[in-house]
Amino acid sequence: MILDRPVLDHVLTLLVVIPIVGLVPLLFFMRDERAAKQVALVTTFVELVVSLVMLAQFRVGEAGFQMVDSVLWLPTLGIRYEVGVDGISVLLVVLTTLLTFISVLYSSGGAIKMRVGEFMAAFLLLEVGMVGVFIALDLFLFYVFFELMLVPMYLIIGIWGGTRRIYATLKFVLFTLSGSLLMLVAIVAVYLASGDAGSRTLSFTDLVSDRGRFAPDFQFWAFFAFALAFAIKLPMVPFHTWLPDAHVEAPTAGSIILAGILLKAGGYGLIRFALPLFPIGAQAWLPIILLLSVVAIIYGAAVSTVQKDLKKLVAYSSVAHMGFVTLGIFVLNVQGGVGAVLQMLNHGVVTGALFLFVGIQYERTHRRQIADLGGLANGWPLYTTFFGIFVLASLGLPGLNGFVGEFLVLVGTFRYEGDPVSGLVWGPLAAIGVILAAVYLLWMFQRVMYGPVREAYKDLPDLSPVEIASAVPLLALTIVLGVFPQPFIRIIEPSLERMLALASAAAVAVK
Amino acid sequence: MSDVIAVLPEAIVTATAIVLLGVAAIVGDERARPWMPWLMLLGLAAALASPIAYPSSGLAFGGFVVVDEFTAFFRLTFVVLAGFTALIAPPYLRRERVPDAEFYATVLFSTVGAMTVALATDLITLFVGLELMSIPVYVLAGLQRRDRYANEASLKYFLLGAFSSAILVYGFAWLFGIAGSTELTQVSAAVAKAGLGSPEVVVALALVTAGLGFKAAVVPFHQWTPDAYDGAPTPSTAFMSVAPKAAAFAAILRVMATALGPVQLDWAVVFALLAVITMTAGNVVALVQTNVKRMLAYSSIAHTGYILAGVAALAAGTSAGAAVIFYVFAYGIMNLGAFASLMFIDLEGTRGATLDELNGLWSRHSAGALAFTVFLVNLTGIPPTIGFLGKFLMIQPVLDAEFGWLAVAIALNAALAAFYYLRVVVHMFMYDPDATAPRIEAARLLSASLVVAAIVTILLGILPDPVYAFALRAAEPVVIR
Repeated sequence: MILDRPVLDHVLTLLVVIPIVGLVPLLFFMRDERAAKQVALVTTFVELVVSLVMLAQFRVGEAGFQMVDSVLWLPTLGIRYEVGVDGISVLLVVLTTLLTFISVLYSSGGAIKMRVGEFMAAFLLLEVGMVGVFIALDLFLFYVFFELMLVPMYLIIGIWGGTRRIYATLKFVLFTLSGSLLMLVAIVAVYLASGDAGSRTLSFTDLVSDRGRFAPDFQFWAFFAFALAFAIKLPMVPFHTWLPDAHVEAPTAGSIILAGILLKAGGYGLIRFALPLFPIGAQAWLPIILLLSVVAIIYGAAVSTVQKDLKKLVAYSSVAHMGFVTLGIFVLNVQGGVGAVLQMLNHGVVTGALFLFVGIQYERTHRRQIADLGGLANGWPLYTTFFGIFVLASLGLPGLNGFVGEFLVLVGTFRYEGDPVSGLVWGPLAAIGVILAAVYLLWMFQRVMYGPVREAYKDLPDLSPVEIASAVPLLALTIVLGVFPQPFIRIIEPSLERMLALASAAAVAVK
Repeated sequence: MSDVIAVLPEAIVTATAIVLLGVAAIVGDERARPWMPWLMLLGLAAALASPIAYPSSGLAFGGFVVVDEFTAFFRLTFVVLAGFTALIAPPYLRRERVPDAEFYATVLFSTVGAMTVALATDLITLFVGLELMSIPVYVLAGLQRRDRYANEASLKYFLLGAFSSAILVYGFAWLFGIAGSTELTQVSAAVAKAGLGSPEVVVALALVTAGLGFKAAVVPFHQWTPDAYDGAPTPSTAFMSVAPKAAAFAAILRVMATALGPVQLDWAVVFALLAVITMTAGNVVALVQTNVKRMLAYSSIAHTGYILAGVAALAAGTSAGAAVIFYVFAYGIMNLGAFASLMFIDLEGTRGATLDELNGLWSRHSAGALAFTVFLVNLTGIPPTIGFLGKFLMIQPVLDAEFGWLAVAIALNAALAAFYYLRVVVHMFMYDPDATAPRIEAARLLSASLVVAAIVTILLGILPDPVYAFALRAAEPVVIR
């Protein structure tokens, strides 16, 4: 190992610092495209390697937070810089670094043609926020990272996006910001409720240690504010309207990150903060969230079916897939929860890949309308194979990763015994969404890839080496997660059980 | 002698102003020009350093003046703002042929007035300070005397300012009538005894609120703001959008928290309502502006609303006072920076800048566009910036004082404001520059100081503790428990 121990003891802090360090040379090479690409590639690659080192250090089977770094950050307020990972977040961190590296790799292959230096700088800044969100254990720190993701993504969509990019990017920011600012009010309220002046805290571990801290009334509103912010980010129906616009206009790499990571920040926030901190509040909102989740699954799938634009189709399918995440989280059992976390990972890999392939296709044909495409399979055997596998994974074919998460969520849903409506109602309804997914994805694949060869697309080249290199890691993960989900479940399960225990024990303690 | 030491910083700033005028008269404007800002910075640095060399605290001038942490914090704020103004002004002044020495000296005189407000323990000192601060600002607004917009700005500002001063001094007269003294602590005691049941206190409260509301640009006393900010030369706008507002809030804290503190519970709701009206009105009108200078003028009204929320929450104790003080400081840097960023376009000889004139500023002047973006992100309240911390620290006492709706109003308003702040970023980064757009003059000092200030707002956003701890100490003497 090149890095010596003491540095690796703070591996999580290192993950935050590396992209910032990468920004420094980038600022000097802003105008030099080649250098900017190289700096960004090296930085994101080092980040990926360090995150894998972190994964190797992770002790599987432990429920608590590991590799914790904790320093008093704002002494007058008692706010801490506290980072750590557990089974829920550790895989999401690796997913983040992987997808960022792939996005940068793909973008440096020629997908981004103007202002390359700025693009790479925005990506590195984005990576700081994204990694930070998944490792922050202090609500204040979490909020800082959560918002830090906003400005770079705003620029990425707004500068390198399509024709309606400005509308899309403003909509994206305003939706997200309205939610998160209300969450900020709730965070401050949590801070004030956490104790008397002088002993207040926003550290997650401190907040969950004293169970009776938040009164039921307080929890009701605090959960609402948190859940609203995360529901917009996720996005849940009816807050999803920014997503299709943002996805359609974003450059390919932006779409990959948006779908792969940014949406996960919402799901992760629900499972990490909203649920364990305000279990009683969560109970009160539970029926509505379950209803909206199932609505999202069916509505997202139904709307995907009628989309004419390839990117919009994948975007709406994300709404449906995220419905499974919220459903899994809020049926409040281990199967559902593990399924939800796996679904987040799977969706990150698969939908990231789908956006990548839609982008690759668009760069050659300059068409995204499904009706304008067709017969692509004839000239592109490699592309067809890759794209086909990802489409099958997305619709939940057993043996590929999409199946595992959705299956566990459905099992969890059937086991849910809640009133007024139990899992026996929600389960079948959600299962309809799985069937619809097969309908819209296979239909799309058929229309785009098969049929007569079109003259205009006949001589377009198949995948380039850079594109293959970008896709192979995602393909490998799709298959590994599908065939051997057990190691991943072993990582997730203990921490998830602990979260659920916190959620229910806390509910009992106040009653 | 101890009296003089107590006001040594103010004395040094005054002397600097006089020296500047003298130097310009002796060596001539042209030759003095390059040295002016540096001479001014030297004086300001001396003023800042003097309390360290000659420490002084407590009452002076027979109880008319007090030096405490509150004074120290605001002295720092005003000196920083004046220094920042000195660094950004030169290219504009040269270009528009605004007399240099007069500009710098007037800024300094106004600064002395503002510092005097922070010193006040007496209604008379306070009023003298406010006037000493205001009158030079009227002059600053009209310094481009051949420009009719500047004339309009100056006249409007002067007339309404004089009117508000009259209202304020009338309110002070009522307070004197109640207490038989102009000393803040004695007024406080008398108000506590009389209570809100007595009509005199109600009248005084109304008059003082209106008078101070004018100075801070609280809706509905804000009408002068857009025209004055819009018409004034941009460096003047940058200064007068922050220093007088900071001084107004120093006055509001001294008067409302100390003198009228005993009836705090009664005026708090009024202030909370004024806060919501002010921030909402400012933001809504800013939304539809196409001239960025005017948009920033309305945005500064919105920020008055945010700060006022902290005043309304004074029941929460020092954390409310500290939130106000911290926000005033943060607002000072970020808003001055935002107005100053407009000067890259202003240097081309247009008034302010429309959104379209900002198109592609990123490719025309990267440093300027980047700094402007950082200030706008600050004003929006996105971390990790000092502007975000201002909002975070503000929401805390507001919730603590059980104004939940006010905290929600702040959050929603911040989201609303994001729309127009980020629209400027859209124009700078996402549109291509007009082919006919004139070349932007290199203004190294301006760019450098804006970039440094932008970095400072981020650094203080990450490590705000020293400033906040100072703000907490500063709030101690004014907030009555």
